[in-house]
Amino acid sequence: MEFPLKTLIFYGFALVTIGSALAVVTFRNIVHAAFALMVTLFGVAGLYVFLQADFLAATQVIVYVGGILVLILFGVMMTSGRLEMRIHIERGQLLLGAGISIALLALLLTVIANMPVWKNLTDDGIPHEPTTEQIGKMILQDKFLLPFEVVSVLLLVALIGAALISRKEVRD
Amino acid sequence: MSLQHYLVISSILFTLGIFAVLTRKNAISILMGIELILNSCNLNFVAFSRFVKPSENIVGAGAYVLDGQIIAIFGIVLAAAEAAVFLAIILAIYREFGSIRPDEVDTLKG
Amino acid sequence: MVVPLISIILLAPLAAFAIFALFGLAKRSFPRQDILSTAAMLVALGCSLYLLTEVVPKPDPYTVEWISLGSVTFSMGFYLDSVTVIMLIVVTLVSSLVHIFSIGYMHGDPRYPRFFAFLSLFSFSMLFLVVSDNLLGIYIGWELVGLCSYLLIGFWFEKDSAANACKKAFLTTRVGDVGMFIGMMMLFKKFETLSLHGTNGIFTLIADPAKFTGDTSDIVWLSGAGVLIFCGAVGKSAQVPLHTWLPDAMEGPTPVSALIHAATMVAAGVYLTARMFPILTPSSSLVIAYVGGITAIVAATIAIVRFDIKRVLAYSTVSQLGFMMLALGAGSYVAGLFHLTTHAFFKALLFLGSGSVIHAFHAMHAHHDEEHAEGNQHEHDDHGLVHEHGSEIPPDQDMRNMGGLRRKMPWTFGTMLIATLSISGVPFIFSGFWSKDKILAGVLGRAMEWNSVHHYILFAVALVAAGITAFYMFRLIFMTFFGEPRNQEMHNMAHESPWVMTVPLVILAILSFPVVNTIWFNKDYIKPPDQHHVQAPQHADISPNNKTGKVDFGFSIFGISEAHAAEDESENADDAHHGHGPAHTIAMVLSIIVAGLGILLSWLFYHKRRFSAESVATTFRPVYTLFWNKYYFDEFYNGVLVALTVWKSRLFAKFDLSIIDGIVNGVATVTRAVFAAFIGFFDNRVIDGIVNRVAKVIWSVGGRIRRIQTGAIQTYLFVVLGGIVLIILIFRVL
Repeated sequence: MEFPLKTLIFYGFALVTIGSALAVVTFRNIVHAAFALMVTLFGVAGLYVFLQADFLAATQVIVYVGGILVLILFGVMMTSGRLEMRIHIERGQLLLGAGISIALLALLLTVIANMPVWKNLTDDGIPHEPTTEQIGKMILQDKFLLPFEVVSVLLLVALIGAALISRKEVRD
Repeated sequence: MSLQHYLVISSILFTLGIFAVLTRKNAISILMGIELILNSCNLNFVAFSRFVKPSENIVGAGAYVLDGQIIAIFGIVLAAAEAAVFLAIILAIYREFGSIRPDEVDTLKG
Repeated sequence: MVVPLISIILLAPLAAFAIFALFGLAKRSFPRQDILSTAAMLVALGCSLYLLTEVVPKPDPYTVEWISLGSVTFSMGFYLDSVTVIMLIVVTLVSSLVHIFSIGYMHGDPRYPRFFAFLSLFSFSMLFLVVSDNLLGIYIGWELVGLCSYLLIGFWFEKDSAANACKKAFLTTRVGDVGMFIGMMMLFKKFETLSLHGTNGIFTLIADPAKFTGDTSDIVWLSGAGVLIFCGAVGKSAQVPLHTWLPDAMEGPTPVSALIHAATMVAAGVYLTARMFPILTPSSSLVIAYVGGITAIVAATIAIVRFDIKRVLAYSTVSQLGFMMLALGAGSYVAGLFHLTTHAFFKALLFLGSGSVIHAFHAMHAHHDEEHAEGNQHEHDDHGLVHEHGSEIPPDQDMRNMGGLRRKMPWTFGTMLIATLSISGVPFIFSGFWSKDKILAGVLGRAMEWNSVHHYILFAVALVAAGITAFYMFRLIFMTFFGEPRNQEMHNMAHESPWVMTVPLVILAILSFPVVNTIWFNKDYIKPPDQHHVQAPQHADISPNNKTGKVDFGFSIFGISEAHAAEDESENADDAHHGHGPAHTIAMVLSIIVAGLGILLSWLFYHKRRFSAESVATTFRPVYTLFWNKYYFDEFYNGVLVALTVWKSRLFAKFDLSIIDGIVNGVATVTRAVFAAFIGFFDNRVIDGIVNRVAKVIWSVGGRIRRIQTGAIQTYLFVVLGGIVLIILIFRVL
């Protein structure tokens, strides 16, 4: 039996991801939480690699880790003034949220476990061709051209709108 | 590794995101929860895209194998835009209320 | 040829009026309305005279459908028989002459053109009435002439007396017209048509046993209808008791009196009765005869004591119309219509003559005014003579101011004398004698044939009335033209009228001789209609012309032989001028005697002054008072009917004020006090209470529910997610 290195690495990524996500929602220091989120995003990127989505994994690291996370930290600094801003959690709300979350998770797991079609779908181990070229062709030549352009415009609009909203209001 | 592995990881991430959104008392933390939810969704898209073949007639004949990845790219773009707008709104709220606690921003309280 | 001619006869006067009306729209007058109207009447007269030669005595209605209501159709059309043609000629002839006379008489009147326009409208209406073949058309014409009469009586409406007189005339005749309309409706109910002639006319249906069985109930129905239609004639022809408007109608211009209130419109009632002759039953005929007889004697006795020259003539007209009605009621169809035409001519002549006399005094007034340098007061003094209550006689109409005018006004005197001789029944050379004799003979003949007490009485009444007629007419002549002038100043100013006024007088005087009236003796030209409802079946095939004797003739009613009308006709066929029957002879002799007696008495009283009228009046003061006060008809109407109406109105007013208003006010008070208070309480407490309570409940509930809206976004999210979980759980478990 071949040493299941690949499986071990997968579980390792999975644990890192889930664990850091747990840290995101439990850390009281928001800056710590933000760094935990960075670990989670890296973990997800690793999972993307396991799913043979190399381009996507790279995008995840660049956009999320390099962009959104910085944005979040920037927001933390802008609003709190102190980097170690504490997060207050009320007990009742915490319990209620935990209950609902666990119920939701139970539901999802039940669905996943009871879906027969999905049970036989295992990784055949066939390596993918590099996806970057295919994705580039599909976006720029094929049926995703129009959605791509629309999303581009959407991004532009969102950025302009964000700049408009966040700038200091000049009153007369 | 089967599809179900990824789905379970994705479910846990989604639930943790929901938990964060429900319980955290800081708008930034809520944003982080939302990012978790988005990541779980993207992971789902990519996993389905990887494991469900067009020949198996689940997503329909002629479907591209990489469709799920492209949707995930769009999702990342969406997350970026959302984060930008979200933070802008948070800044505006902070200027208006001096706080970003969602339970303190209750102008619509009945 | 007939229809165009009738159209011209009708349209010519109507066009004259229409031109006046059109110019009236522009607030102007046609420059020569008098010439226009007169010319129109002359055209109509010419056409009428042509019709006399054209028409054969075989009448046919010319009809067109007018209104269709379901199964019922009202037609409009002309009916032309010999009587119609004669009536057309009488109307157009008298109207033409009155038009010509008016050119002189009305000269200088401020509303001169309007007068002629009204005359034209009247002429059209009267001619329309005459030629209509159905009751509806006759009724339309009937009301139109009533309207024209109203307009012309009130022509000088500045005078209160004229304004009152025209209202009185209109209202009084309306009383009769209501009866006439009810009678028409009764006929309509029975026959479902208002057409008189033709295959579907009433006169045809009445002879059809299938349509009209002739049993007792039908006869009663028919009698009622006949009497009610005769009511219209009573009003229009001024029969007792609706005669009082006619003397008052003398407030109108004298040519109007001559045309409308002597010759034509008042004769329309006689014409209508004659037209309805076939539907008259013995009982309704008797009613007509009595009304006519009473009218004749009552009006004649009133006329004796009048001093107003026009009132004398007015009562004379009423009396003569009574004669005509009497004739028709006694079954003497020809006699009644004959007297209608002769009377039309000589009474028009008398009125125009009196108008000539009045005009002479009018001119005097005008001259008098000019002497006092008040020429612009002309018409004011002319027509503004105040005489309240109609009892004061205007000086220019008062016979006590006249006398000895025969030398001043020879033409007027001569023509009026001829007319007076005619109306008085001076034998043989005057038409009035023949027509009146025919009436008397008709009544006496009916009395002898039926052995009827009623008709003997009526004959006696008519005879006395004829004598009185001669008396008062010669009284008029003697007082006006003979003797010495009673008012020297007025007499000096009097003068003969201009030729436009004397020429019509002369023409009418010629028409007062029987030579022009001989058409009434032409048995082939004029045939009285059959009275079908009394025709016994066994006599149906007997033609009246075949009868030679005086017994067992054609008609029998309830076992009584009705023969005189036919007998009278056959006599006329034999010898137009000399009746052979004993009835005719007796009637003629008696009428000559009473006429002579009347003239003799008048001569003794008013010319020779052998007796004093005043002393007789004193001796028979109650009778005199009765005559002088016109049998108190006006007093009766004023004292009883008018007072009753006023009293009733006051009563109703009191009823209105006290009871109705009381109820209303009481209801209002009660409502305000009780109901409104209760409503107010209910509103304030119950309604408002409910509303406020509902509002309060909603307020408090809303106050609690709004706590749900925390405004905290995470609370909402909790609910949403909890809901999702719940829903999925429920669906998974169940």
